[in-house]
Amino acid sequence: MRKDAVPDPEAFLPLQPAVFHILVALADRERHGYAIMQDVAARTDGKLKLSPGTLYGSIKRMLHDGLIEELEERPDPEQDDVRRRYYRITRLGREAAIAESGRLAKLLGQARAMGLAPRRT
Amino acid sequence: MDWPLSLYRALLLCYPAEFRYEYGAEMAQAFRDRWREEPGLTLWLNLFADTIISASKEHSHMLLNDLIFAIRTLRKAPVFTAAAVLTLALGVGANSAIFTVVNAELLRPLPFADPDRLVRIYEKNDRLNLPQFAASVLNYLSWKEQTQTLAQVGAIGFASFNLTERGDPEQFNGATISPSMFPLLGLQPVRGRAFRDGEDRPGGAPVVMIGEGLWKRRFGGDESLIGKTVNLNGTAYTVVGIAPRALFTLTGGEIWIPMLIDPPREQRLNHVIVAVARLQRGVTLQQAQAEMDTIAHRLGQQYAEMKDWGITLTTFYHWFIQDQLRTALVVLLGAVVLVLMIACANVANLLLSRAAARQTEIAVRTAIGASRGRLLRQLLTESLLLSTLGGAAGLMLAAWAVHMMNTSLPANLLPVDQLVVDSTVLLFTLGITLVTGLLFGMAPAWQTLKTDLITVLKQGGRSNVGSRRPLLRNGLVAGELAMAAMLLAGAALLIQSLLHLQQVRLGFRPDRLLTFQLSPPSAKYPSTQRAWAFYQALLANLKTLPGVRGAALSSGIPLGAGNYNTTPATPVGNSLLPAGTAIPIDWRAVSPEYFRTMEIPLLRGRVFTGDDGPNAPPVMVISQVTAQKLWGAEESIGHIIRLGSGKQFTSVGIVGDVHSTSLNQPPAPTMYFAAATRLWPLMDVVVRTEMEPNAAVSSVRQKLHELDAELPMSNIRSMDEWISNNAAQPRLNTVLLGIFASVALLIAAIGIFGVLTYSVNQRTREIGVRMALGAQRGDVLRLVVREGMVVAVAGIGAGLTGALGLSKVLATLLFGVDAHDPATFIGVAAILLAVALISCLLPARRATRVDPIVALRYE
Repeated sequence: MRKDAVPDPEAFLPLQPAVFHILVALADRERHGYAIMQDVAARTDGKLKLSPGTLYGSIKRMLHDGLIEELEERPDPEQDDVRRRYYRITRLGREAAIAESGRLAKLLGQARAMGLAPRRT
Repeated sequence: MDWPLSLYRALLLCYPAEFRYEYGAEMAQAFRDRWREEPGLTLWLNLFADTIISASKEHSHMLLNDLIFAIRTLRKAPVFTAAAVLTLALGVGANSAIFTVVNAELLRPLPFADPDRLVRIYEKNDRLNLPQFAASVLNYLSWKEQTQTLAQVGAIGFASFNLTERGDPEQFNGATISPSMFPLLGLQPVRGRAFRDGEDRPGGAPVVMIGEGLWKRRFGGDESLIGKTVNLNGTAYTVVGIAPRALFTLTGGEIWIPMLIDPPREQRLNHVIVAVARLQRGVTLQQAQAEMDTIAHRLGQQYAEMKDWGITLTTFYHWFIQDQLRTALVVLLGAVVLVLMIACANVANLLLSRAAARQTEIAVRTAIGASRGRLLRQLLTESLLLSTLGGAAGLMLAAWAVHMMNTSLPANLLPVDQLVVDSTVLLFTLGITLVTGLLFGMAPAWQTLKTDLITVLKQGGRSNVGSRRPLLRNGLVAGELAMAAMLLAGAALLIQSLLHLQQVRLGFRPDRLLTFQLSPPSAKYPSTQRAWAFYQALLANLKTLPGVRGAALSSGIPLGAGNYNTTPATPVGNSLLPAGTAIPIDWRAVSPEYFRTMEIPLLRGRVFTGDDGPNAPPVMVISQVTAQKLWGAEESIGHIIRLGSGKQFTSVGIVGDVHSTSLNQPPAPTMYFAAATRLWPLMDVVVRTEMEPNAAVSSVRQKLHELDAELPMSNIRSMDEWISNNAAQPRLNTVLLGIFASVALLIAAIGIFGVLTYSVNQRTREIGVRMALGAQRGDVLRLVVREGMVVAVAGIGAGLTGALGLSKVLATLLFGVDAHDPATFIGVAAILLAVALISCLLPARRATRVDPIVALRYE
């Protein structure tokens, strides 16, 4: 994490799909790794299942870039016996996700104008 | 639930250790959750794919980080980096350049199909002392008829052509070949067709093949040349095909015609052709040799004159790559490997010094959690980055050296004419680059890692672990000096050989001698008389030129390109040799003025006169060594020699010995005939001038063209050029080994200097204490110099001992100097000790300038 300058969220665009999905999954509350996987799967109707390697590889880089941060370990409320590491979206992460959404919306608008996407109902 | 988790944990081993350490437990947990929801093969397939992709991503990510870190580290130490890269570039560059030559000459296959099955067939005669002799046409026909082990047999003869078509008349070397030659070699013509069976019988329409180079150069690659006629030696030949370059590699020359064979006109003892063959598939050289022995025995029973003759088969590889060249290349390759090892040792030492300086950094990084493996990886990345930079610079150096060799080496020095940096060379360079990186990176990395963390941190970086363990560093320097000593000893021996070669008494005066070749076509000069009349007129005309003191003719000048021939000669009557034995003798046909023009001294009797013609009794002039060998101290004239053909010659004169074929061989027995009785199709003309010989070329050409405007001059050179050409290979060996030895010495000197400088820096406090206690500058100087010289003497001693053992390899390349020449070895030791002493004195002087107060306060 670079501490000497305030990073520009635009610099992260375009976000890798896995990174964007993780940011979306963390947007409403902090989650542990497996919960992120479940959330992404649910959101995509089971089409995208992040595997552990991809998930933690992305987490490692997102932590490094300051898009998310790690909370202290605590028990999983659903499985009280296991301690897990929780992750939370940062301000920078939120800004980056917003910027990415904007970029995608703009792209979608252009695709729609060219008849490449369904009209808004 | 046990085995799936264990399997997944095993999969996790694919990830870098730090990543595993950080996330392994979480990942295993996530896997357990997922396995509970959807166990099955699909999940495993997913996980395998995921692991391969994400693990390699993690690894490359880490490599990139290491690389960025390494670049930053190296940029912070520009002097160190430059020194290391330059040292490595010299080592790698020299290796790649020499390997390019080795690759081209020794490793790359000859340009023929299945070259391993190609052999040359020599005749041999142990009684006449002829281990490898040319073949005769009749024997060639017998072999061809009787062999079962040879798939094809072919013959090559010498030919020379004057081409008078399109442009100035030009003379070309060429060859006569049997029609079997193309299928035998597995070659295809570039255009048109090869010769057909039957085209080698006399009386057919004259046909010719032209080399690809000549076709492009002289005929502009004209496709319509096939089927047209060209005028060669006054006869119209139909061009049937264009021959590939590979044929030139075998036979030389650029024009080929079928070898016309008329058996009734041939003699079994007329050894004039080169016979080659292709082994049947599955037949070994030994089997073929055994069969040829049987055939030779049978021929010996059948024909009385063949009684003592046998057959020797040699592979093309041994025929093409002569032992001297092979030895030279092996020696040079060995030399550059030593240079590279010295370079490695030096860089390792530089890294060791740095490692000592970086102990604190490493200790801190270990303390905050970097694993040893991680640090090792980081350190090796640094050394590999260094070696890659060195390798890249070395490759550029090698490319430049290869370019220089291609443009400035004399032709014919190497059997393969163009050196290229091809994929094999690139692969070799990559290989040695990686190996050197690991080699010089290992030792410092290992030493860094076994450093005791606590001690270093406690000492706050003022540790001197490096100086407490000087054995490795001193060992490396001693090794460098040992290798430099071996190289220097080899180079010194070669330099002396070259000096001896240059002092060889040639037996004639080489300066101000212009030489060229003529080949008057037989169509225009059908008889020896006609050709001799032409040459006589030419020589007489040349002598009238201002600045020309003499002109003469020879069938082969010493060290030139012309024909010389060896023939078995038997003394008749009293002789030192047992009755009936013969020795091989070089023979040359020369004009009467030859000895005077060449300044070959007449020792006894007379040289030829105008009266020694075809109708006079056959006489010869012999060289001194011939007389000594055959008749000993008597050395008188009037002796008789019988040649293989049965013809007898009486000696009328004895002349001085001449180095005819090479500088490093003693003069061979030689006999001279009168040119009026014998002329070769191709003759050498020598002109003794008063000015620089090449300045006479145009007036000589003018005189020639006054007599025959269509006759071209070829191989126009001064005698000095021929001599320098002859010494080109030893000179190149010497220059290269000399360069490598100097580079090695320089690097080794830098090595001693570096180690001592470092040691002085480390011992500043100790030296300060000594001086505070009353040690004089002289004492300090001696202390440091002694430390360095102990290492130097050990290294030099080991190196010279090694050189004594290794110099036997050089023996075949040496001339006039013994491989164990004591003077050379003493001289080399003196040079090395002097260099080592200078390298020690500089840091020692620095040590004497240590101010005790400053040194002690620093602590």
